[in-house]
Amino acid sequence: MHHGQVTATPVVGLVGNPNSGKSSLFNLLTGLRQRIGNFPGVTVEKKAGMLTLPGLPTVELIDFPGAYSCYPTSLDERLVVQELTNPEGDLFPDAIIYVADITKLDKHLLLFTQLRDLDLPMILVLNMADLMDADGLTVDLAKLSQELGVPVLAVSSRENRGIGELKTTIADLLRSPENFRPEHPFYEPGASARDVLSELRRELPARNDYHALLLTHHAPWLKHIPEQLRHKVQNARVSHGFHSLRAQVEETMDRYNTFEPIVKQTVRHAGDGDSLSDRIDTVVTHPLFGPILFIALMLLLFQALFAWASVPMDLIELIFGTLGEAIRENLPAGWFTDLLVDGIVAGLGGVLVFVPQIAILFFFIAILEEVGYLARAAYMFDSLMQRFGLNGRSVVALISGHACAIPAIMSTRTIANWKERLLTILVTPLTSCSARIPVYVILISFAVPPVAYFDGLIGLQGLAFAGLYFLGILGAMLSALVFKWILKTPDRSFLMLELPEYRTPVWRNVATTVYQKSKTFVVEAGKIILIISIILWAASTYGPRESMAAAEVQAQEQAVARQLSDEETADVLASERLEASYAGHLGKFIEPVIAPLGYDWKIGIALLTSFAAREVFVGTMATIYSVGSTDDEFRIRERLAEERNPVTGQPVYNRATAWSLLIFYVFAMMCMSTLAVTKRETNSWKWPLVQFVFMTAIAYGGAMLVYQLLS
Amino acid sequence: MPFPRSAAASLFKAGQSGTIERFTNEGLEGKLLDIGVRPGSRLRVVRKSPFGGSWYVKIDRQCLALRKKELACIMVK
Repeated sequence: MHHGQVTATPVVGLVGNPNSGKSSLFNLLTGLRQRIGNFPGVTVEKKAGMLTLPGLPTVELIDFPGAYSCYPTSLDERLVVQELTNPEGDLFPDAIIYVADITKLDKHLLLFTQLRDLDLPMILVLNMADLMDADGLTVDLAKLSQELGVPVLAVSSRENRGIGELKTTIADLLRSPENFRPEHPFYEPGASARDVLSELRRELPARNDYHALLLTHHAPWLKHIPEQLRHKVQNARVSHGFHSLRAQVEETMDRYNTFEPIVKQTVRHAGDGDSLSDRIDTVVTHPLFGPILFIALMLLLFQALFAWASVPMDLIELIFGTLGEAIRENLPAGWFTDLLVDGIVAGLGGVLVFVPQIAILFFFIAILEEVGYLARAAYMFDSLMQRFGLNGRSVVALISGHACAIPAIMSTRTIANWKERLLTILVTPLTSCSARIPVYVILISFAVPPVAYFDGLIGLQGLAFAGLYFLGILGAMLSALVFKWILKTPDRSFLMLELPEYRTPVWRNVATTVYQKSKTFVVEAGKIILIISIILWAASTYGPRESMAAAEVQAQEQAVARQLSDEETADVLASERLEASYAGHLGKFIEPVIAPLGYDWKIGIALLTSFAAREVFVGTMATIYSVGSTDDEFRIRERLAEERNPVTGQPVYNRATAWSLLIFYVFAMMCMSTLAVTKRETNSWKWPLVQFVFMTAIAYGGAMLVYQLLS
Repeated sequence: MPFPRSAAASLFKAGQSGTIERFTNEGLEGKLLDIGVRPGSRLRVVRKSPFGGSWYVKIDRQCLALRKKELACIMVK
C-alpha cells in the first residue's frame, strides 16, 4: 500500500499537458540519471529518473507522456489513465507533480482537477515563470493555492528558478501526504452517471466516486479490470443508458465552469495583440514560403549530415582499422585474433560509425522541436501525408531516412497515432540512406554510359543517381498507401495540433536528447549488430574441412603457376577460402534463386553479407575478386569490368545485371541495425519481419522484372 | 468580419472570426473541449495549409492546427 509511511522507493509522477515544459523540468530534476524504455506491454516511451531528496530514500521520478484529460485519444494518453487509475500497479505514484504552462492555466487546469478528484497528493507547478515578467503576466500564487487546495509553485525550468523550493515541497509531500488530501471534489458525477455508479460503485476497485466513474468509462480497455468485471460494467452501462461521450462532455463543461472563475481571479494577462510568434508564422507557415523554407531547412540538414559527419566517421573507421591492425600485429595469428579483429572490432566499428550521424540528426531535430518548428511542419504537410496513411510528422522521418533509417525511425515517437507511426517506421527504410551510396557509385558505371549533355552540366549517370533516390521515395509512399488499406486501427486519427509559441531552445534539453538517443542506439542496436558480425565472420572464415584444405592447395598452385608476389598470393588465398567457406557454399546454394535476377554465386555472397549492412557489399566484392585494398572503389570497378561468365565468356556486369542489382539495393531491407531498431520501437518481432519480407519481395520482383526486360 | 448567424467554422475564410456556440459532432467534441476549444471561446481562422485540408486557427490566445472535418463541427456566430 502507498499510504501511511514513506515507501521504500517512493514513486513521483510528472504529469501535465503536452507543451507544458514537463520534460524540460524532468531533465533539470534528474540530469542524465535517466532510464528510457517502454512502459510494460505498450510501445509508449517511459522515462524514469532518480531524484535524491534530503532525509528520504531515493525517489523514482517518472515522466508520464503529455495528456490533455482523463479521456484519452492516443496510446500516450491511455497510458497515463491506465497507470493513474490502478492503485495496485507498480507505477502508481505516491505523489504527483502537475506541470502547467503559466500562460495557459485556463486550459491546463482541466486534467489537474480530474487528477485531484482521484485523491492523489499533488503539487501544482507553474512552469515558464520566466514569461511572468516579460509578458506583463501576474499570478496570485497564494490565492490560487488556497482555491485549488494544493501547494502552488512558480518555476522556470528554462532559467533554473524555483527548483530548490520544489524539491523541498516534494519532500514535505512524501513525508505527510495526508496534509495534501483534497477536502472536497471539484466535480460530482451528474444525474446521467449516478444510476450506473450506484450499481457499480461496490463492484469496482475504486477509491472514490470519481475513480469509479473513470473505471466505468474506460473499463473496455483498461488492463487491470478483469474480464468478468468488464462484462458487468458493460451490462450496467447499457441497462442504465450510460452514454460515455455525453457524460464526458458534461463533466468537462462542469469542470471548466468551476475553475474558470478561479483562474480569472488569480491570473492577469497584459496585452492581447499579435505576438512575435504570430508575425513569425505569417512567413513560416505561409502557403508558398512555408514549404520552400521547409525544403531549404531539410537540405541544410542533409548537407550537415554528410559534411559534418564525414570527419568523425572517418576518424572512427581509422581508429578501429588501426586498432584491428595493432591487435593483429601484437597477438599470435589464429582463430582468436581473427575473431577479435574481423568479428568484434569490425562489428563494434560498424556500430559506432553511425553515431556521428545519429547525434547530428537528433541535434537538429531537438532544436526544431524545442523552437516549436516541428509542429508547424506537421501542420503544413498533414493533408498531403494523410492521403498515404501517414501523419504530418512523418515528413521529418522520411527526410532523415536519406541519411540513415535508424535515427529516422527513432524520431517517429512524436507521432501519436499508432497506425500512422507504424506505417512511417515500415516505409522509412525505403528512402535511400547513405550506406547505399558506395553501392550506387560502383554499379551505375555499368548500368549507364558516361554521356553528358549541356557541356557536361547534366550527366546521364548523375540523372540515374537522382532517379534512384526518387525511386526510393516513390516506393515508400506507395507502400504506405498499400499498408493504409491493409492495416486496421481502433484509434481515431486527429490533427488538433497545438502550435506552441516560438522559443529559443534550452540547450540542456538538446544535449540530453542527443546523449540519450545515441546511447540507446549503441547499447540496444549494438548488441544485435555485434552478434550478426560475429556470425558473418565465422561463416566466411570457416568451411567444411576438406573443401577448405582443397582451396588452400589450389591457391598455392595458382600462386606458383602465375608466379605471384606474397601479397597477390594472400589475395588469391582469401578469395579461394571464401569460395570454400560456409558463406561460399551458401552463395552456391542460393544461386538458382538469384539466377533469374542475373546474379552468379559471387554476387550471391555479397548479397548475403549485405543483409547485415549494405556497405559490406563493397568489402565483400573486394574479398571475392581478390582486390587487396577494400576502400579502392575504382580498382574494384576495373576488376568487375573484367569479370567474365565462365560458360558464355560474356561480361558478368552487363547493363541488365547492373540495373537489376541497383533496383535490388534500392528496395531490399539489408540492414540489421534498422531491423533491430524497428523491433525495439514496435516492441515485437512481427513488424521487423513484415518489413523485411515486403521490402525484399519488392526488391526481388523489381530486380527480376528489370533484368528480364533488359537482357 | 463576424458572421450574423451561427455557421460551421469550416465555411470561414482566412481572417474571419466569431464566438464558438456549440459543436455538432459528439465524437470530436470531447477532444476539442480537452484541448481548450469550448463554447464562448473566440475563434479566428488565420490561414489555410499549403496543401489544403487543414487550417491554422487561433482560439483565444492559443494557436491550433485543425483538419477540415474538425473545423466543420464547430458552430460559430
